[in-house]
Amino acid sequence: MSAELLPDMTLTLLLLIMAWGALYAPQRSDAMALFIAFGVVVALIWARLDAPDLALAEAAIGAGLTGVLLMHAARALPDELHRSNRTATYWGALAFAVVASLMFLAHLLTDDSLLNAGLLDTDSDVTPSLRVLADANVADSGVSHPVTAVLLNFRAWDTLLELLVLLFALSGLRQLFPRESAPDDHATSRWPESLALMSAWARVLAPLLVVTGGYLLWRGSSAPGGAFQAGSLLAAAAVMLRLTGLLPALRWSSVWLRLSVVAGALFFLSVAAATAIWGDGWLTYPAAASGLLIVSIEIFATLSIAITLSLLVIGEWEDLRS
Amino acid sequence: MNFALLSLAIPLFSGLLLLLCGRALRTRITGFIAIASTLISLVCAWFALQEVAAAGTSLLLNLGGWETGLAIRMRLSSLSALLLLFTALMHLLIGLYAGLNRAGINRDFWALSCFLHGSLAALWLSADLFNLYITLELLGLTAVAMVALSGKKAYRPAAHYLILSLAASLFYLLGVALLYGRYGELDVLLLAPRTEADVTTRLALLLMTTGLMLKSALWPLHLWLPPAHASAPTAVSALLSGLVVKGPLYILWVLWSEVAPPALAQQIGPVLAIAGMIALTAGGLSAMRSPSIKTLVAYSTVAQLGYALMALGLLLTWQLPQMHIALWLFVIAHGLAKASLFLAAGEMQSSLGTRRVAGLRGATQTVPVAMFAFAVAGGSLIGLPPSGGFLAKWVLLEPLLSQPQNWPWALGVLLGTLVSAAYIFRVVALSFDRARINPPDINPDRVGHWLALLPALMVWGMALSGEWLIQLLAGGGV
Repeated sequence: MSAELLPDMTLTLLLLIMAWGALYAPQRSDAMALFIAFGVVVALIWARLDAPDLALAEAAIGAGLTGVLLMHAARALPDELHRSNRTATYWGALAFAVVASLMFLAHLLTDDSLLNAGLLDTDSDVTPSLRVLADANVADSGVSHPVTAVLLNFRAWDTLLELLVLLFALSGLRQLFPRESAPDDHATSRWPESLALMSAWARVLAPLLVVTGGYLLWRGSSAPGGAFQAGSLLAAAAVMLRLTGLLPALRWSSVWLRLSVVAGALFFLSVAAATAIWGDGWLTYPAAASGLLIVSIEIFATLSIAITLSLLVIGEWEDLRS
Repeated sequence: MNFALLSLAIPLFSGLLLLLCGRALRTRITGFIAIASTLISLVCAWFALQEVAAAGTSLLLNLGGWETGLAIRMRLSSLSALLLLFTALMHLLIGLYAGLNRAGINRDFWALSCFLHGSLAALWLSADLFNLYITLELLGLTAVAMVALSGKKAYRPAAHYLILSLAASLFYLLGVALLYGRYGELDVLLLAPRTEADVTTRLALLLMTTGLMLKSALWPLHLWLPPAHASAPTAVSALLSGLVVKGPLYILWVLWSEVAPPALAQQIGPVLAIAGMIALTAGGLSAMRSPSIKTLVAYSTVAQLGYALMALGLLLTWQLPQMHIALWLFVIAHGLAKASLFLAAGEMQSSLGTRRVAGLRGATQTVPVAMFAFAVAGGSLIGLPPSGGFLAKWVLLEPLLSQPQNWPWALGVLLGTLVSAAYIFRVVALSFDRARINPPDINPDRVGHWLALLPALMVWGMALSGEWLIQLLAGGGV
């Protein structure tokens, strides 16, 4: 038994406890706090698994922005709903977990294919062929960090579609604020007056977040970081400023806002179409310009991700419709 | 391949453009741009079909020019080219209706329908399990957003749809992760020869099947569909029932007919076929009893998907190429017929000022064209010759009837036909009740009614091109 097992087991156990607490805490506010803690633990686990890119994204989006979103949603609930449903029984969930793990274990004992595949054998090499291929081709990709190479070159099509996922989610959210409904329908959800200390703190923190976001974006081509992480940090800055009332409403009617929302996907798609028409094929970057193309795609994507995420978290009628 | 990519990129571009322009464009122009881009996409899809027919085999494209295994691969088979064409055609027909009918539609519909078109095109072209997951997400999100277009009353069904669709995506993703962990590949064609019937593969396939069945509302995971499809705006219901549920069905087909080892596929086949048979009867019975017109049509989607599921199950059990043809003929015939049925239902609902089936008394006199569209499209759902539905059912029934031991399956199909006939004739019989007419509230909108009839006429026209369709599907099936 190695010394590393102890922190690993602790993290795993902590994860399960947080998950249980987030689902079954009697008070909603406790459940939300535990959910945010759950996100932090997941981020730690990703870091422990040598996936710092994922850890950064999880910490920023899973723990940070989702937490704000939950708190914001909770404000709209009437008081009696802040207590979660007392009749919800967790015995069912517990029984399900036990039965499922027993079934899985029984399967494992009767069929040794998992062992044969080397999934449970830590000594054997389970590096998937994709990873080997990716490592071998990083030199030709225009960036030196393999994760960025996968995201923006080898599997750039996935990333392009992911940008569209964010955009479509925002288009869906806009449908919840129909044009006809007057803004005073949503008067209850206006932001409360914030404490002086909070806005002072936000003034200090926001520039730091912007600098860190820019740094992550810049670093993305050679080390963990990149558009999604940088975008979510910038979004966090925007959300914080908006919550403390330092930032005016981001108005959808402004063409600049709409442009920055679609810029990432539009630029990426244009690159894809241009390479298909004038180049060697859909998303096949010309070798000389691939580094430059990747960085410019990342810059536009960061902008779009930042604005879209902040709209998704704090978007109100006046942000999305006016 | 470039034509297929154009057919995919044009709707996405125009969707982004419409979002960017926002209210700077008038609603009419917005609709015009969306319809024009659909038309161009349709032409491109036609050229892609010619290209793949000329090549005689499916075309593969390694995105980014990277070696196989590293790159995401796109595959243009004659099936995916046909589905591209079908998607563009459906969008064109429904777009025309949405743009020209009197009631008009929320301006956001246009950008969303462009996005939906692009997502479906990306789905048909993808040959990579993880990429397929992202297209599923895109599809689910746009579909939910489109349900929410009809305002407050649709929020609850839309929220249910969203949550179920996300849960189903997670099931699918977990399956993909397991397969990736086991084989280290995501490419469908590389994975296909390597899969073995072991625990991990079984578990992964089971999870993915659950997710996909939930997404395409296959019995018994269909309960979210009727409220969501019935509460959406009419044009959206037609798109959702005619197209969106077919996307996950396509992935299910890829998964079982290509990725899964044949031994496992033969095991699951009968299960799927029986589920399909139950769907036919149960969905049909619910449609028969449903009080409102749109819910009736939505339940009929559940029932009709039973045919497709049955064809898929029998395809896996017997590995008969004929079932492959039957499956996709059903998908296309059902899409067209269902579009017409929903559009006609929506038109009658607004003209007669009622949502209830009972309100259709005397509809043959008050809204003759829309009622005709409903009956004609219904005829294809029942499988009356010479409609597209008949063509599909004939291809399905032929191998069932030729062998006496297959007759129980044939009996299931016949029972399903009987039930479909029952719910269609329930409406048709009411509409001939000219003694107690439910007078229309407003003058019927002629243009809207004729546009509702258009897809129904096309599904009957399918029989004329039946030979071509069957050869196309048989030729370069995969």
